[in-house]
Amino acid sequence: MPYETLPHTADVRIRVTASGLESLFAEAARAMAAIMAPGCVPERTVTREVTVEAEDLEGLLHDFLSELLYLFDGEGLLLCDCQVTLQEGRLTATCRGEGFSREKHAGGAEIKGVTYSGLRIYKEGKDDVLEIIFDV
Amino acid sequence: MAGEVKRISEYEWELPRDYRPGMRVPARFFLSETLRKDLESGALEQLANVATLPGIVKYSLAMPDIHWGYGFPIGGVAAFSVDDGVISPGGVGFDINCGVRLLATPLRVGDLEKRRELVERLFQAVPTGVGAKSDRRLSGTDLEEVMVRGAAWAVEQGYGVARDLDRCEERGAMAGADPSAVSPKARQRGLPQSGTLGSGNHFLEIQEVTEIYDPVAAAAMGVAMGGVCVMIHCGSRGLGHQVCTDHLKTLEAATRRYGISLPDRQLACAPVNSPEGKAYYGAMAASANYAWANRQMITDMTRKVFVRMFGIAYEEMPLVYDVAHNVAKREEHLVDGRPVPLCVHRKGATRAFGPGVPGIPKELAAVGQPVIIPGSMGTPSFLLKGTALAMEKTFGSTCHGAGRVTSRTQAKKNLRGQQVRDRLAQAGILVRAASYESIAEEAPEVYKPSLEVVRVVDAVGISKLVARLEPLGVIKG
Repeated sequence: MPYETLPHTADVRIRVTASGLESLFAEAARAMAAIMAPGCVPERTVTREVTVEAEDLEGLLHDFLSELLYLFDGEGLLLCDCQVTLQEGRLTATCRGEGFSREKHAGGAEIKGVTYSGLRIYKEGKDDVLEIIFDV
Repeated sequence: MAGEVKRISEYEWELPRDYRPGMRVPARFFLSETLRKDLESGALEQLANVATLPGIVKYSLAMPDIHWGYGFPIGGVAAFSVDDGVISPGGVGFDINCGVRLLATPLRVGDLEKRRELVERLFQAVPTGVGAKSDRRLSGTDLEEVMVRGAAWAVEQGYGVARDLDRCEERGAMAGADPSAVSPKARQRGLPQSGTLGSGNHFLEIQEVTEIYDPVAAAAMGVAMGGVCVMIHCGSRGLGHQVCTDHLKTLEAATRRYGISLPDRQLACAPVNSPEGKAYYGAMAASANYAWANRQMITDMTRKVFVRMFGIAYEEMPLVYDVAHNVAKREEHLVDGRPVPLCVHRKGATRAFGPGVPGIPKELAAVGQPVIIPGSMGTPSFLLKGTALAMEKTFGSTCHGAGRVTSRTQAKKNLRGQQVRDRLAQAGILVRAASYESIAEEAPEVYKPSLEVVRVVDAVGISKLVARLEPLGVIKG
């Protein structure tokens, strides 16, 4: 399992593990989609390019996930399959998913925002790991 | 960790300034021995973090429902000088003006024979859950009005009566709202969601008044023993959430520009009167106003269901009061005997102005501001009143709810939503939710006992108990 839930009383705190930062960020996006609206199946027809800029990795991750949250909440797009490219101060991603349906994707938690509190990105052996808290 | 937690009195505790390097003021919090057992170290660290922010006045404070959040702890209160202090979205949260309102009805429990049908009709009338959309989609022009005029816009559109505004904190619209500081993305999230309840801990509950502690205050506020009431708990939906996200980014850059060093990035802030600080304040006030309009629209849906089912008049469901739980406000408070303009942050805390303080309804001037404390699905909610002591000790603030003790994940692991629903039904509480998961996540046992939290604020005197309300039926996202 690429992500696990860590203890946090009020919000949802997760730990994501992957090999390589770009896969790590993609897995974080997949995890967030699974929390908000389980059962996402990527379709060829629903694709979005996402670009964000920030000064460091934590900022890029925060802004990337915040953008996906906006696309979910503002445009009804559940994006769960992302190809991420990281460059200095910039992240681009091609994300696939499907239109949100209350029937198909029931049982999720409404994520209000992506927080910086407790946000960590680090190496553990060969793996890249991140921890993040979503306000729900 | 140099300093240690000091006990000031039976319920009052202090983190002295030497608890942690960088603290500009001590921190104070209110807990009983029972509640102290559930105190998380993460929450104390966050309380100490707040004490390091520039321009903080007197104390970094936390109410007895303190728990681990992001940025400020939940239950956190802090006031900053408007001259050399800061404003931070981390002291308000994503759900700007998440709040509660209480409606009275002329009904008694005996009138609710069709309680199951009532709960079902309310569930059909009020859009709830992830991705729920409003039946009344706002136009762009409507949204501009909502952001500036809040509940007053909704009342003018027919979603309430003029008297409702008298019974809202800030009369349902904060001054200083600046829609130009609200991004197109925030608007896009807000447009389809006005008049929706949301999910998580948001709810609409039918309640019975089962105890009156203060008959004079209860009569003035308009609640009677045995009366049926309705409590509505929700906030500014995606609009407020996006405002927090957007301004966190600009304030992060500002934090560096103004040379402020922070222990937690979520506490990104700027001087109250800087362009960035003012823009956040304007956008936050606009979101708060959206939330008041939202609760007003849900009030209208609720009243219409009761009118149709019970043949009562729309006006027979007066608003008792409406309070904000997550907000920063310009207020004047006495500091060393002198009135000082401050920016007061309340993150999971309620304004609790005492008798005679400007800003509370005229007819309640002698009583104090009504304070509404929601319980969880199976535990009672409470109506309290603000006090002079709150003005002195906590910048006119008190607790906001019960506070969780078990994580959502743990709750879902240990509890089955269906069983929780059946158990509550046996206890006479009907629950209707968009999913069983949300019932399990919000089961009564995952919260601190609400009675203990309000007992502490009552004993300390930062608000006093007026009435107790027991749940009869709940709708949830």
